[in-house]
Amino acid sequence: METTIQLLISGILLGGIYALAAMGLNLIFGVAKVVNFAHGEFLMIGMYAAYWIAKLFGINPYWSAPLVFVLGAFVGVLFYLGLIRFTIYKTELTQVFATLGVAILLQNLALMAFSADYLSLQVFSSKNSSIQLFGSYLSTTRVMSFIFAVVVVLLVMLFLKKTYMGKAIDAVSQDLSAARLVGINIDKVFIVAFALGIGLTALAGGVLIPSFYAFPTVGSSFVLISFVVVVLGGLGNIPGTVAGGFLLGVLETIVGYLEPDLKEGTYFVLLILLLTFMPNGLFGIKGAEKEGLK
Amino acid sequence: MSTNWLEVQYKDVIAALVLILIVFIAPLAISDRFYLNLMFLVFLFAGLSSAWNLLGGYAGQFSLGHTAFFGIGAYTSTLFYNYAGLTPWIGMLVGVMISMTLAYLISYSVFRLRGVFFAMATVAMGETVRVLLLWGRSKIDIPYGLSIDYKPAISNMIFSEPRTYATLAGLFMLLVALVCYLLTNSRVGYYLRALRDNEDAAQSVGIDLRRYKLIAFLMSAGFTSVGGTLMAQYVLYIEPSSVFNVTISIDLALMTIMGGIGTILGPLIGALITIPLQEFLKDWLSPFGVGAHLVVYAAILILIVMLLPEGVVGAWRNFRIKAIKGDPRA
Repeated sequence: METTIQLLISGILLGGIYALAAMGLNLIFGVAKVVNFAHGEFLMIGMYAAYWIAKLFGINPYWSAPLVFVLGAFVGVLFYLGLIRFTIYKTELTQVFATLGVAILLQNLALMAFSADYLSLQVFSSKNSSIQLFGSYLSTTRVMSFIFAVVVVLLVMLFLKKTYMGKAIDAVSQDLSAARLVGINIDKVFIVAFALGIGLTALAGGVLIPSFYAFPTVGSSFVLISFVVVVLGGLGNIPGTVAGGFLLGVLETIVGYLEPDLKEGTYFVLLILLLTFMPNGLFGIKGAEKEGLK
Repeated sequence: MSTNWLEVQYKDVIAALVLILIVFIAPLAISDRFYLNLMFLVFLFAGLSSAWNLLGGYAGQFSLGHTAFFGIGAYTSTLFYNYAGLTPWIGMLVGVMISMTLAYLISYSVFRLRGVFFAMATVAMGETVRVLLLWGRSKIDIPYGLSIDYKPAISNMIFSEPRTYATLAGLFMLLVALVCYLLTNSRVGYYLRALRDNEDAAQSVGIDLRRYKLIAFLMSAGFTSVGGTLMAQYVLYIEPSSVFNVTISIDLALMTIMGGIGTILGPLIGALITIPLQEFLKDWLSPFGVGAHLVVYAAILILIVMLLPEGVVGAWRNFRIKAIKGDPRA
């Protein structure tokens, strides 16, 4: 029983992190209908940014998170203006392989700049490295990342529900032509969505650095995880992403406990099963047919 | 129409003869190990990309999981050879059977998907096979990396002369190219291109989508598996992170796209450009750091898919059309 509770709690903590990591992917997919294969690499950029800010200026990754967000947002705008803008009306082939190209580019730029070393950052002294909750010991960094994830997710949902820009983003994800018809500035919405999406992704990387290693190819595992989370919760569905994150986190933790070597396989198998039997995810996908799901 | 048909045939025969001559003459004309290695890789990847093209180019399904079939090919022949003494020639065929079985089973899932979802599901397929292998390895106690003892013999598919490998890979390329050629002018080929261009329209004229996609997928998986065995026999050492690496899947797609997706010569040209480009870039840019050549390679890839999504062959075709008919926009 105690183990079960411990597993559940660590799973939920991990799930919060997954939800945060996947949020940006879903936001961008919803608006631009582009699956960004370079998603994980933006997370990697956030990890390195937080790492170096901490190393050079001694700022703790939790305090530098807003800075990493701004940096990510800036990169996101560049990514949109420099590449995505030109791919949106092109074929699927161009969309898939252009973002895949960006992924390879960023991975190897990181390799050149930071070498293949695994970098980690210790934020809490070993005395404070775990906290006790409901009788189980939890890693402080995981708990902190989880708190960050919850706060940020709530802020994003608030932004989407309450502000004009947020509603415009929602409108464009639902129906681009109709949104344009009622006078929404599509270009602006795209730029904001990419700034927000990539900014969030970088921020996720930043708050992950105390509990995950940073290395040039760290993104490639996160892109698949994020994709599973997004499909699980439903494309374009932000609350769904949160639920999807929790589910995957718990599932992965349980599988990892039972059969450690198969842990990594959890999300791959889940993705295949999901796409086969429940392509609409748990809460349905807007415009799934158009995007290649039947 | 009939003259056109004859003209095509005549050109095809020339192209085929040139290819056959290259495969048989080029390895004999070169003795430098570096170039023979390059030639082996170009031939092997030309064949592998052509195999990817069967599914990606003709049927329009962009797989990013072909490394699974490549790895299965490499592992099956090696495991059977090392532990049961079975000749890799037979092991290769067993690998083909396993790869095709996997393709058949996974087709029930991935054929329901299109575009990026198909791509993602195939990535997951490749990774699942890798994870399962690592898991199984820890259960039945086989080493992480497998090396094959160097015992040159035709029956062992191990040769003392590097040029023999180059010729063998060249034959593999010719075989896949021949299948692509036969497919292009066959009923199945027309069906595949019809369903690639518009699935709904193809279905409405009575094409069994699943059946024809499956034909392309099985052939594609089988040939990729053969390529995996050839690679294992050439390098004589395999490990999960090398033969089940997702970059293999990506490279096959890139070579096909660079050369011209959906064409017979495209993947061959793509491999001919990409492999030496990668090798030379690696050489030239090594002073700038480990990943420098891949940065340039990725930049070239982005430019190609943005500016020439139909690849070299497509660009040449468009150029010819313009030269003959004049600029349609003029």
